[in-house]
Amino acid sequence: MADEQKPAAPKPAPPKPPAVIPWESDLTGALKEQFGEGILEACSYLGQNFLVVKPEAVISIVEYLKWEAGFDYLVDITAVDWPKRAERFDLVYILYSFARNERIRIKTRIAVDDRPASVVRVHRTANWLEREVFDMFGIEFEGHPDLRRILMPEDWQGHPLLKDYTVRQQDQRWVQENLNIETGQ
Amino acid sequence: MMPPLLRKILLVDLFEGLRVTFRSQNPKNIYTEQYPAERPQVAERFRGAPRLLKDENGKTLCNACGACALACPEQLIVVGSVRNPETKKKELTTYTFDLSRCMFCGMCQDACPSDAIKLTQDFELATYSRNELIWDRQMLEDGPKPKQYKC
Amino acid sequence: MPEATFLDSTELVLNMGPQHPSTHGVLRVILKLDGEKVLGTDCVVGYLHRGIEKIAENRTWAQFNPYVDRLDYVAAVSNGLAYCLAVEKLINCEVPVRAQAVRVILTELNRIGSHLLWLGTHALDIGAITPVFYCFREREESLKILEKYCGARLTTHAFRIGGLQFETYEGFERDVLAFCDMFLPKVDEYEELLTNNRIWVGRLQNVGVLTAEQCKDYGVTGPVLRAAGVKWDIRKALPYSGYEQYDFEIPTRTNGDTYDRYLVRMQEMRQSVRIIRQAVEGLPAGPILGRVAKVLKPPAGEAYVSIEAPKGELGFYVVSDGSAQPYRVRVRPPSFINLQALNQMVHGALIADVVAVIGTLDIVLGEVDR
Repeated sequence: MADEQKPAAPKPAPPKPPAVIPWESDLTGALKEQFGEGILEACSYLGQNFLVVKPEAVISIVEYLKWEAGFDYLVDITAVDWPKRAERFDLVYILYSFARNERIRIKTRIAVDDRPASVVRVHRTANWLEREVFDMFGIEFEGHPDLRRILMPEDWQGHPLLKDYTVRQQDQRWVQENLNIETGQ
Repeated sequence: MMPPLLRKILLVDLFEGLRVTFRSQNPKNIYTEQYPAERPQVAERFRGAPRLLKDENGKTLCNACGACALACPEQLIVVGSVRNPETKKKELTTYTFDLSRCMFCGMCQDACPSDAIKLTQDFELATYSRNELIWDRQMLEDGPKPKQYKC
Repeated sequence: MPEATFLDSTELVLNMGPQHPSTHGVLRVILKLDGEKVLGTDCVVGYLHRGIEKIAENRTWAQFNPYVDRLDYVAAVSNGLAYCLAVEKLINCEVPVRAQAVRVILTELNRIGSHLLWLGTHALDIGAITPVFYCFREREESLKILEKYCGARLTTHAFRIGGLQFETYEGFERDVLAFCDMFLPKVDEYEELLTNNRIWVGRLQNVGVLTAEQCKDYGVTGPVLRAAGVKWDIRKALPYSGYEQYDFEIPTRTNGDTYDRYLVRMQEMRQSVRIIRQAVEGLPAGPILGRVAKVLKPPAGEAYVSIEAPKGELGFYVVSDGSAQPYRVRVRPPSFINLQALNQMVHGALIADVVAVIGTLDIVLGEVDR
């Protein structure tokens, strides 16, 4: 935010950064009634609504949203790596409802060896999306029909989008395997 | 309108398509550019080969601030400078631009405060070895010249 | 093949390898065949994986902008628009109206270019060699306008976070309107060549049917969804960049087969011309860049913004931790998700239909693999 050059008046206070505000609606009311402590928070940031839920509750919430609330389109599944946190990954599901023209995000926090349930049986698009999350982060999904790497070669070791995976380490391993030297740096 | 069976037998839909094709046989509809005999006229803002510009006296416009090096997504610009003890300003000594990794995005051009580096209209930049694509200050100021081979 | 490692004596596993003229890039499809009938497919992608999401974590927000063009390299302007909109949402920046209108003009021009390339290559896969030349000739005109505006034809880097870098050049409106006038009769010409042609109809009708329910289940968006009968377009449903002021229709069809997708895309090109004309006529004056800090540090948080790219819903999920570099940029690639439906669409079809279906899904491997 640029500040203006006023000759004598004091500088205006910078605008407050947007905050995460709680989100209340009939949908959150119904969800809280149905799932109780499964839903940890229902918030809204910059006008985009999201729920923070417990990992075990994700699949039942996604099912409920599809069949009862009309969120029949799974837009995306992705993960974010926060290495300093105990529960390292933030697993994010983005859903959209054609009938209500509304988009909702469902976030859960999972630790390194957790195996969240796969939502393939609810939305078939989750097949490749979960494969990609597995490929990039190493998060395995329970109940996925065909969990193997999709973008990286099948015999690749390591999960590229983790924060501690660096190009230097990848290069050194390649050089050790293929050229039999210690490092190419 | 012909009945559909007659349209099918007499291949009317195929002839309609052929009419379009034969219309384009007219020589004034021929669109091919005979490169390299006629070179394409690229736009004024075309992002091609980078050049370091000089002012009318032949002095370089670059003031060695390093904004281009900071702005480049690939970090392939290396700006060398010395501080002039009299004017207390930085003066440019060496300038290295690694054209082999450049993606011609134009961020160096956008970042430069003195309009010293510009991406020009030159797009014929092929060389025979990768080393020739690492341009130093001399090459950037004079521009790429085609190599002359005597036959 | 994931399910069957045990084949009947009449079954055959055939590799439609990464080097193939009809796979629109480096796509490998493993087909399980019974004679010429396809029993199942397995797509192997990742040959063009460049790690763009990882690269994003090591660049600043503005420096990542040129990389985004390389996703769907056929319509690079749309990718730039989606990324800029996502970051502008995160920093809560107001884009000036003139910038919004010029963005709409360039994006629709790019949509026409993308559909032209789709039509040319799709026709080429089916066997019609002529449309490719005509489509590329028209695409050339739209690329000339893009080149005059921002300096590059393919990897345009046309937009910046907060608006535009360049003011429109002298004669921009004249060139764009001349393109529109030149282009509409050409669409009629393509229709004359293809739409009623019995070979075209025979190759495309009832091939690769995907019903509306299946589309929603597979998360397929874009012209594929509209050809299945769902009248949904992000430009109308969740408008961005000033699209709510333009009057245009959403073409839909009912059958959801390849022929319908062809018709939907042809109509979309006409609607794009309509939008461009309205945008040029109402082009407002004013600044082109909003108020954006020189070193961009969005407050910690996240946002998901999506646009109607020519291929489908292209979304960017950006996570910021308050520093000058993105913490995570996730690209929601329409081609990747549309490609998942390939298995469903070619079940029981012939090999030639596999080629037609890959063409009709309009995939670009840069987006599939990122």
